[in-house]
Amino acid sequence: MKLARFEERWAEAAMGAIFPGAPGDGFGDIRGMDLRGFLRQVVAIVPLQAAVGLRAAVWLCALAPLFVLGKLSTLAGLAEADRERVVVRLAASRVYAIRSLVLILKTIGALLYAGDDAVRARMNSPRAPAQKGTGLVTLHAKPVQAA
Amino acid sequence: MPHDDHAPDHEHDHSQPRVAFPDESLPEGSVVDGAALAGDVEEAFDYVVVGSGAAGAVAAHTLAQAGFSVAIVEEGPWVRTREFGERVYEAFRRMYRDAGTQVIEGRSYVPLIQGRCVGGSTVMNSAIAHRTPEDVLDEWRARFGLGQHLTAEILAPHFDALERELNVHAVDDEVLGRNNRLFLDETSAMGLPARKMHRYERNCRGSGRCVTGCPNAAKQGMNVSYVPWALSLGARIYCSCRVDRVVVKDGVATGVLAHTIAKDATIAHVPRAVRLHARRGVLVAASTIQTPNVLRRSGLRARAIGEHFSCHPGYGVGGVFDEPVGMDFGATQGAECTHLRKTERIKLETIAMPPELAAVRIPGLGRELMKNFGAFSNLAVWAVVIRAEAEGTVRPGWGGRDKVKLSFTKRDIERTRKGTAMLARMMFEVGAREVWPGIFGLPPVIRSIDEVRLIEEAPTDQRVWSYITTHLFGAARMGVDPKTSVVGPDFQTHEARGLYVVDSSVFPTNLGVNPQHSIMGLSRLAATRIAERARAAGASGTRAA
Repeated sequence: MKLARFEERWAEAAMGAIFPGAPGDGFGDIRGMDLRGFLRQVVAIVPLQAAVGLRAAVWLCALAPLFVLGKLSTLAGLAEADRERVVVRLAASRVYAIRSLVLILKTIGALLYAGDDAVRARMNSPRAPAQKGTGLVTLHAKPVQAA
Repeated sequence: MPHDDHAPDHEHDHSQPRVAFPDESLPEGSVVDGAALAGDVEEAFDYVVVGSGAAGAVAAHTLAQAGFSVAIVEEGPWVRTREFGERVYEAFRRMYRDAGTQVIEGRSYVPLIQGRCVGGSTVMNSAIAHRTPEDVLDEWRARFGLGQHLTAEILAPHFDALERELNVHAVDDEVLGRNNRLFLDETSAMGLPARKMHRYERNCRGSGRCVTGCPNAAKQGMNVSYVPWALSLGARIYCSCRVDRVVVKDGVATGVLAHTIAKDATIAHVPRAVRLHARRGVLVAASTIQTPNVLRRSGLRARAIGEHFSCHPGYGVGGVFDEPVGMDFGATQGAECTHLRKTERIKLETIAMPPELAAVRIPGLGRELMKNFGAFSNLAVWAVVIRAEAEGTVRPGWGGRDKVKLSFTKRDIERTRKGTAMLARMMFEVGAREVWPGIFGLPPVIRSIDEVRLIEEAPTDQRVWSYITTHLFGAARMGVDPKTSVVGPDFQTHEARGLYVVDSSVFPTNLGVNPQHSIMGLSRLAATRIAERARAAGASGTRAA
């Protein structure tokens, strides 16, 4: 099974909405990686059932704007902020099949995105300590024992 | 394109002499690569073993050690230690069944992880050793009429040998890692009995790369232990060969028919026929999922084939700490609590996840996901593993695949909920700033121990829980009644002489602890008895000196 070019474009839009990157935090956008090449390889090696699931997930996200935002556009035709809004709403769907399809895209995208050298290096870099004085009140606490 | 894992691994220290791994320099002719065969093959051996995972490798070694000629037939390729990379996608593509996309179908889809390579799932598991619990053995004897065939005393010498040969010991402090230390700190503070895991490893360096194959051959998977050891005793392995069926003639197993396959689906391949005659017997060790369908394709029709499939569903919880945790260093799984196994059917344990797998459970999409990605280095992941009551089925699926169906019971999910809530509390008590429960309908992030009650009140609908499972049992179970079992206490199928099943599909129930040790122990017992009976019948091995 192969994805058609327009399906690859749709997949890119959906994956880009899920993994948009955060340049200020050192995370690149998944669309800067060879996403289309990766997806071509994935659909070639997974069983047909999984490939069909991936295609269904791509179509769901692509056509969702009509149902989620009332906009007559595919996901790829929306602004970035609206694309994110669509996928977030789908992932929060009470319908198991819908949110599972979005999870398929997140799972496959994660294999590429978190497999990237720069992303992994950034993920494994210790982050700055959190700010103190957040206003949260800890009701129960035990002293942390030394390792 | 994704990272090229076939490039030299930059993590190997090239300033040091090149270490020879046990899966290199194997006896000439001992490895037949089905993917590279130019023509059909027909050979004869005393025994043919289907599968090179925990059960098949140990059985083959035991029989080879007894002087018999042995062929191992393995569906997957042999990926050598030196070829192991760090990327989960490459590991999925080369070494996991269906590229890691297998699922159990039921009320929800539950990912099912199996290896498909020489060494099977032992190449990518965490190498945890647990003897079969005595209460489980008691249950098998009482419920399944196994009498005195399987007792702790009978299994003990086999476990002793395995532990000696595979260097089983508690995780060394130097490679424990913070994810495991936090767990042990909190269980100690709570007074909850817990311990460092006992694993099969030599000189673990804490690479945290169990899931993609140990790059140092420290983990004693079958690929670097019993398979090479069996080959050094004269056994031969046929890789990239899928068994179509066991040949059963007049009620006697006489060999296997297999065909070669490509190393992955993108490579063009002309299948070759591989016909292996077995003078004395065939041992099927293809795992709980594949064994039942091999038996069906071989003409067996026992009602119990494919029935009573069970598993240990696992559920992971993430906790974010102020200080770095660093799951990229340390034993992938190094700490556990089995105190609640008998009473609650719950096991608590740690599990460090590589970034690609953790990313799926990191909350959010879009900018929220990216923000939480930044917390990865401060993330600890612990899991609850349930000894599920639910039973399912294994049937042939479309396109020659295997179809597994199972839905967890309400009590299974209640136990998951209880264990998850315990872990969340433990994480807060040991200093987590936030916990990621991953339960649909709950906040993706909870920031106070008081919010753990939301987990305790979560629905018992399987569809809101993100399970995964790796421990698989039943589906060709052992018993004395042919109406309700597939093999007898001697591991021989009721329907065909000389046809044995020696993997976890014969387990009458699941265990509540990691199964590799039990699988190897029972396989060693089975192969030892098979060899003893053959000797008693006057057989001498035909292995070349």
